[in-house]
Amino acid sequence: MKVEVQNLRKEFGKTVAVNDISFSFDAGHIFGFVGPNGAGKTTTMRIISTIEEPTAGDVLLNGVSVCQEPELARRTVGYVPDSLPAHGDITVHEYLDFYARAYGLKGGKRTQAVEAIEEFTNVAGIREKHLKALSKGMKQRVTLGRALVYDPDVLVLDEPAAGLDPRARVELRELLMLLAERRKAILISSHILTELTEICNGIVIIERGKILETGTIDEVLKKSAPRRTVAIRLLEGNHHQNPQLIRELLQTPQVENAREVTNEIHFELTGDESAACDILGMLIAKKFKIIEFRQTKANLEDIFMNVTKGGVQ
Amino acid sequence: MNAQLFRLKSHLAGWREWEMNPIVIKELRQGVRSWSVTGMLMLFLVVLFVASLGFLITSSFDATANLGLGGTMFSCFVIILAVASMFFIPLYTGVRVAGERAENNMDLLYVTTLSPTRIILGKFLCSAYIVLLFFSACMPFMAFTNLLRGVDLPTVFFILAFLFLFVCAANMVAIFLACLPLSRPFKFLFVLYGIFQSFFVIGSLVALSLELLRSGVGAKMAEPYFWVTSTTVAAVVVAGAGLFFVLSVALISPPSANRALGVRAYITAAWLAGGLLTLYWVWRQSEARLIMVWQTVTYILMFCALLNVISNADRLSLRVRRAIPQPAPGRALAFFFFNGAAGGLCWVAALVALTLLGGNAVLEVKKWMVTVPGGADSGIDLFLSEMRITFLYAFSYALTALFIHRKFLPTRSPKLAGLLALLLAGGWAMAPGIFLFFANRLSRKSIEGLQLGNVFNVLYTRDPSELVWHLYFALGWLVIAIFLNLGWFRQQAGQFRRPTEITLPPVLPPAS
Repeated sequence: MKVEVQNLRKEFGKTVAVNDISFSFDAGHIFGFVGPNGAGKTTTMRIISTIEEPTAGDVLLNGVSVCQEPELARRTVGYVPDSLPAHGDITVHEYLDFYARAYGLKGGKRTQAVEAIEEFTNVAGIREKHLKALSKGMKQRVTLGRALVYDPDVLVLDEPAAGLDPRARVELRELLMLLAERRKAILISSHILTELTEICNGIVIIERGKILETGTIDEVLKKSAPRRTVAIRLLEGNHHQNPQLIRELLQTPQVENAREVTNEIHFELTGDESAACDILGMLIAKKFKIIEFRQTKANLEDIFMNVTKGGVQ
Repeated sequence: MNAQLFRLKSHLAGWREWEMNPIVIKELRQGVRSWSVTGMLMLFLVVLFVASLGFLITSSFDATANLGLGGTMFSCFVIILAVASMFFIPLYTGVRVAGERAENNMDLLYVTTLSPTRIILGKFLCSAYIVLLFFSACMPFMAFTNLLRGVDLPTVFFILAFLFLFVCAANMVAIFLACLPLSRPFKFLFVLYGIFQSFFVIGSLVALSLELLRSGVGAKMAEPYFWVTSTTVAAVVVAGAGLFFVLSVALISPPSANRALGVRAYITAAWLAGGLLTLYWVWRQSEARLIMVWQTVTYILMFCALLNVISNADRLSLRVRRAIPQPAPGRALAFFFFNGAAGGLCWVAALVALTLLGGNAVLEVKKWMVTVPGGADSGIDLFLSEMRITFLYAFSYALTALFIHRKFLPTRSPKLAGLLALLLAGGWAMAPGIFLFFANRLSRKSIEGLQLGNVFNVLYTRDPSELVWHLYFALGWLVIAIFLNLGWFRQQAGQFRRPTEITLPPVLPPAS
């Protein structure tokens, strides 16, 4: 299964919600979709899920166009919106059974599918509970179950972790990783960027309907922060050596911008990891009492803050 | 065609796997669990029980046997059943549909394989099952009345069948109102209006039921006239419910769908069937004026349709454009039935013209065959003239509003064109009255005087001979309005074709 978003454009009157965006991802991949509020994430996801029609461009789900064959495309995509199930007066089992029927599953096949999904999303124990009696985390599991009940190849999740407590977030993350192992292609939007870094293979950063960055997490991190920042901490009571350490570092090739940051020394390393290893060896040889030598990675949040301007349409 | 036949064949072959509409199952589960349905049902049974008990106790004091007691009790039960089912079930159905639409559950249904038609059908069937539940609960009491004499079984079943039909139609109206994209206060106003209207419907139904009860259905069953009349009434109710059904389907269809197709096709078919039915009645009763019933209903529908079609967007969605037939005759026909203001205007114009021509033809043929008294003839002529002029005005206002919207408010919603047409017509109708009021010359006589451009003045003008001035004025205005919109219309007709498939540029390098 391959999801290809091709030159997608969506206009609402004069507003261009999505402006000529293209990206693609494969089965077994979790693809993060990041952007400020009003960037066009939900619109793009709704187009992929066949709820909206693009003004121009197309989305191909394994070659099936969501514009030309929406009925066929619909059978391969599961959509989890940012709102939780609103039918309060039916049980978890009835809710899943209803959607299994709505997707055309019949007889024993439907019963099997519903039971399997209850097991997978760990809601079998609460299958007879009414939806209104569930916690937000449980409701999110049920929503995910609804989207998975007919075993779609593509899963589109709009802010699934919003409002969940840490435990529920961890559980959701584990579920998504399991689904990726089952060769599902997953597109997920979230504002909790640290979590996306941990589970996503690739990422798209979007703002004002346009793509700012796209690629694998490592590619994006490299592209946006090409240099490594290394932090050194000396043993407590040896901070008086900090100025000397900075001087020493500045004389070392492949080191730039050495400075003191709250009792630590930070510097930019232009070389690779073996260069870092050499520098560490050199500093130890010069009797600096180093207790910590670590590479500070630029995270997705830093990149997000760097590349976006916070603009909405 | 072959593909459709094959699909139908395979559908019939797999009858063992047929399942009920999922919406019906879900709604019924929710219905039987809800306190509103069970509570209302319990209350209904208690009222029936108390009423039966009351009747039996009071009649037990009579020394002579009351042979009409069954009929009296049945009348009372019909009133209770009509009130309970006409008030409660449509209200319950409407509130549920409106609540579901407000909570955006429709989006989730769009991504399933359920079509909007199946969704609305599911809601409707569920409401029909609830009606059946109430009727079934009432049945033992009704059967009991038959034992007490005074009412025959055919009457019981006939009245119940008709009541069932009307309640189902009321449910369909409630579903339609709930599907309207209106805010809660507006919907509340509609509910109030619906309740107000249901008083009238319940009153009429009860009066009809009592009349049938008095005369007895069993005795009339041998008369063909009875069946023809009943079938006509049932057909009209079903046709009305069907109209609200297709309108509801259109309302919940995604914006990119061809919403107009179902509605326009249904109205055209119903218009044709209604015309044939009216012709039958004209022939049967030898009364040419009956054709005016069909014409009046068509005109009312077309006025509403005109407002709706000019509110359509000019730009068709990709999905709709991809469905446009390639051959020219098919494309020309599709132009009338697909989304879009230009095609919609042609469709309304065609139906109105055919209705006028059809009506005129019937009247002429009848005049030729039978001599109709002069008074009746002049009444028909006046009615036809008024209708002709009213429609000329309606088209003039619609085209003027389209022109104003396109020239001065092109970036605003196309719905504004419909509103503009209403405002123009309403404003021009009120302007003379306001002027006369401030000039201190407002009187009935002055209002009934000639007011060119005032569409309402056509209907209440004092001197019918003045209608000719309205006709000339409306014709002149319409010619100008058509001229102003000709370029736009040509453009719309020219653009109404299937898009050429464009090869998209390659996708950006894959992420991984």
